Amino acid sequence: MAAMMQPQIILLKEGTDTSQGKPQLISNINACTAVVDSVRTTLGPRGMDKLIHDDKGNTTISNDGATIMKLLDIVHPAAKILVAIANSQDSEVGDGTTTVVLLAGEFLKEAKPFIEDGVHPRNLIRSYRIASYLAINKIKELAVSIEGRSFEEKKDLLQKCAATTLSSKLIGGEKEFFASMVVDAVMAIGQGDRLNLIGVKKVPGGNMRDSFLVKGVAFKKTFSYAGFEQQPKAFSDPKILLLNIELELKSEKENAEIRLTDPLQYQSIVDAEWNIIYDKLDKCVKSGAKIVLSRLAIGDLATQYFADRDIFCAGRVTEEDLQRVAAATGGTVQTSVNNIIDEVLGSCELFEEKQVGNERFNIFSGCPSGQTATIVLRGGADQFIEEAERSLHDAIMIVRRALRNSTVVAGGGAIDMEISRYLRQHARTIAGKSQLFINSYAKALEIIPRQLCDNAGFDATDVLNKLRQKHALPSGEGARYGVDINTGGITDTFANFVWEPAVVKINAINAATEAACLVLSVDETVKNPKSESAQGEAAASAMGRGRGGGPAFRGRGRGMRRR
Amino acid sequence: MRCVLLVLSRRVVRDNFVISKKEAFAGGSSAYNAKHKSRASNVQNFVLLFFFSLLFNSSGTVLISLSLKSPFFSTFSLLSMALAFDEYGRPFIILKEQEQMNRLRGLDAQKANISAGKAVARILRTSLGPKGMDKMLQSPDGEVTITNDGATILEQMDVDNQIAKLMVELSRSQDYEIGDGTTGVVVMAGALLEQAERLLECGIHPIRIAEGYEMASRMAVDHLEKISKTFEFSLTNIESLVQTCMTTLSSKIVNRCKRSLAEIAVKAVLAVADLDRKDVNLDLIKVEGKVGGKLEDTELVYGITVDKDMSHPQMPKRIENAKIAILTCPFEPPKPKTKHKVDIDTVEKFQTLRKQEQQYFDDMVQRCKDVGATLVICQWGFDDEANHLLMNRGLPAVRWVGGVELELIAIATGGRIVPRFQELTPEKLGKAGIVREKSFGTTKDRMLYIEQCANSRAVTIFIRGGNKMMIEETKRSLHDALCVARNLIRNNSIVYGGGSAEISCSIAVEAAADRIPGVEQYAIRAFADALDSIPMALAENSGLQPIETLTAVKSQQVKEGNPHYGIDCNDIGTNDMLQQDVFETLIGKQQQILLATQVVKMILKIDDVISPADY
Repeated sequence: MAAMMQPQIILLKEGTDTSQGKPQLISNINACTAVVDSVRTTLGPRGMDKLIHDDKGNTTISNDGATIMKLLDIVHPAAKILVAIANSQDSEVGDGTTTVVLLAGEFLKEAKPFIEDGVHPRNLIRSYRIASYLAINKIKELAVSIEGRSFEEKKDLLQKCAATTLSSKLIGGEKEFFASMVVDAVMAIGQGDRLNLIGVKKVPGGNMRDSFLVKGVAFKKTFSYAGFEQQPKAFSDPKILLLNIELELKSEKENAEIRLTDPLQYQSIVDAEWNIIYDKLDKCVKSGAKIVLSRLAIGDLATQYFADRDIFCAGRVTEEDLQRVAAATGGTVQTSVNNIIDEVLGSCELFEEKQVGNERFNIFSGCPSGQTATIVLRGGADQFIEEAERSLHDAIMIVRRALRNSTVVAGGGAIDMEISRYLRQHARTIAGKSQLFINSYAKALEIIPRQLCDNAGFDATDVLNKLRQKHALPSGEGARYGVDINTGGITDTFANFVWEPAVVKINAINAATEAACLVLSVDETVKNPKSESAQGEAAASAMGRGRGGGPAFRGRGRGMRRR
Repeated sequence: MRCVLLVLSRRVVRDNFVISKKEAFAGGSSAYNAKHKSRASNVQNFVLLFFFSLLFNSSGTVLISLSLKSPFFSTFSLLSMALAFDEYGRPFIILKEQEQMNRLRGLDAQKANISAGKAVARILRTSLGPKGMDKMLQSPDGEVTITNDGATILEQMDVDNQIAKLMVELSRSQDYEIGDGTTGVVVMAGALLEQAERLLECGIHPIRIAEGYEMASRMAVDHLEKISKTFEFSLTNIESLVQTCMTTLSSKIVNRCKRSLAEIAVKAVLAVADLDRKDVNLDLIKVEGKVGGKLEDTELVYGITVDKDMSHPQMPKRIENAKIAILTCPFEPPKPKTKHKVDIDTVEKFQTLRKQEQQYFDDMVQRCKDVGATLVICQWGFDDEANHLLMNRGLPAVRWVGGVELELIAIATGGRIVPRFQELTPEKLGKAGIVREKSFGTTKDRMLYIEQCANSRAVTIFIRGGNKMMIEETKRSLHDALCVARNLIRNNSIVYGGGSAEISCSIAVEAAADRIPGVEQYAIRAFADALDSIPMALAENSGLQPIETLTAVKSQQVKEGNPHYGIDCNDIGTNDMLQQDVFETLIGKQQQILLATQVVKMILKIDDVISPADY
């Protein structure tokens, strides 16, 4: 009796949600699978888009795994890992974000029956790690190097890679057009690491074929004052002065006050102020520059002053545009107009202001250093251009990656099938449980071609069997066969130029395996109650508890209160 | 069963829900089940049923009003997030506030999206063509707009549905790029969506449809290129440009004086055009309107009009060979920007200050006189003292002229904007042959005309009309005409209008479809059908038998191999657009087809719509 009266030991704060053990592991896996299901359909050239609309009224239409995962606003702790790997894939290689999420989900799904049967997760994790190590080595072995070819040839090959990435996107219809644009842009910035040298400008209107690449810098006309239209709008071989100061009539010092006792001195103060600004303007003109750009405002006085002297000026140019102009034209941004020497002035072959859609654009082309490129995107709707920008970003990243470690593998699920085959073969040489695990890892890899078929509406089992047969040919000639998205059969994807940089695949397999292992290694979640500072949340959750309801109640309570 | 239904339907009628018996039947079983519940829920059920049945078989207008609101869709397709359950059967919270998210996926999403897009297109359909009707739109604060310009209608409609918003943007981007054909592009997109819906029902993959459309659009654009004609124009020979602008204007409310308006538009564009660079800056054309007078009084001023009058009523109303000083500084004693204070401690000091101020005014006016200005235009105001002084010295002045107008005046008169009196020199003065103040009718409204300028590269179109709405609509129509003229200067290819180009493309695409293997063939054929919807809408709006007319024209085109046959909207008696002089710009037409295809592809590609729940 006494034992029963023993008070319960309260270890954690009230309201803490804990769950542990095998059921917890299973439920984590289930949660991840649910998330994967939401991006599943975006894979491949026949993948669909998601329209995500938040309560602020922003609409995003996207096919990019990372973007979708970000916008879904996932709060489940285990499922958040998937968001993290999608993001890491995005920042590391830029493409294959859907692939990585899909693979991680599939690894977990394959692990589930084993966990249910009582296999220790550590065993699984070890085997998965081995399998991923083997798979990556195999990819490296299979990869084809495009190093050592001529420039033209290389460019051609890079275009193929970019086209493969773009084929799954909204702009897939014009993939050749954009692929060559992307390759040109990346080639233009050379080996430089500074991706921000490629600017992407969005102008609604027109169709996507009206998009164009400027080998130089282009930016939208900035806010202008009266007098701007009188400035010349085209120059050849101008000198460009870049400034980071305001050219405006203003009080030189804050909080300063002038006291006059003699009214006759009044004029001298007025003159002094004017002289300061005139002096600045005069120095700009004397520098010989024909174009004056400033990150800060160029006022009406300055605008008219420059207009008077046939100089073009633009104020409030955004920081990154100014940096890009500086990089392209070889100028340096000045913070003072004193001592402007010729070396700090930039130059370009041609400057002009041009109408693009409804906007006027300042375009600098034929820049001496040539290390910048600007892509001006056109399209029917804002969402369209946004998505096009994301797609181009993927393609740019891919081309850069491919340029640096230039090995490619066959896409369209071919490489996945080949690794799968290899792993299965390897598994047979292992005695013990690990054979099963590596086999299931191999099976999980088949999800890529399977999903490609599913999304395209083909019979996945049929295609997969054909692929397995091809890949199992002892001669090894079938190693490059993947899904033929046009006919629903199989084809040598390498020969058809469906190429992916090897690094994308390596990174995807690595990240997905890591994520899967991470989820598998968790056996307890301790979820702290929401902090007190979030008053409403806490009250709502208290209400939920009071009614004995789960999270579902909590959510509804909140919703009602808001109304 | 039947008896129950009758009872139910009677009950519904009593509750003021007019619903036909047939529809009650359609939802029979669910209504029957609902019998056991409270009467309130019966009614609710019927409301829902009513919506359902409307969606499927009621007239278009009602559907529009309903389907534009996204919450409606969610009522019957509330598929919440794919739920996962843990070991206790509790759902996971995977997404933040997931119960409050609506989610539509798969075919449902596509169907819902398509019907939203179609609904928008249906609204605009009746505005197409010369016999198209106008829409009256009232903004939340009661302002009324009457227009048949597609972009304007959609802009003002305040659409809520996401897909409908895409259609709005589609129309807007046509407006930005081409300026004309904003209605046509939406109608085209609507037709494409309608065809796609049919194909989706056959089980064709949406992306295959989109790809087929894309192939077809390329064929159509190539075909347009083939049937297009270039025509010559020069500064003296503007007839062809005027004809094209007239086609644009003929669908507008101002079509009774389309000839004169078209001429005005063309002349204005030619005045500011840079023919070598093929660049036209429409900012240099100022469109000004004033209520009163007739539409016929609309005129083109080779110069600038400013809605201001002389600062002093006794100043001269007419100045010939004016030399204009354009100032952006006020007629006031200058003020330093730095905070300042003048300490006055004696009467003498005060008097010197007073005197100095007067001296300033005097200097300023004198300075203007010295450089030879006969008119001062100032961005800011001036003191009564200055005004008086200006009057006394016989120097007419205009005050509070906006920055944009000031700039245009400077461009037109070849003057420079002067920010400071000290900078005033004779070279910086603008020159105008005549500056006059003109008053209108019996009102006290006066405007300043600055004409016969040194450089006529800035012009003004001055619109008169019976009421404000009329003037606004005329402005929009003229904007369309100006854009057409600009496009022709950029690219002087034209195609024939009246739906003839679409019919010709339809025939070409249809023929090409047979040569394409695969599922795309269906999509291409559907594209050809969709192209027919434009002439069809034209015929419908003109009160002709749509199918009869279309088929007749189509067969005529095929028989005679002549792509000039279109719909005779104005009942002139011939349907040869060459004789009717109905032209449209080639780039405008191509853009329409490409843009519509692009947006349709985007809509078709969406299979998952995640949105916050109804608020």
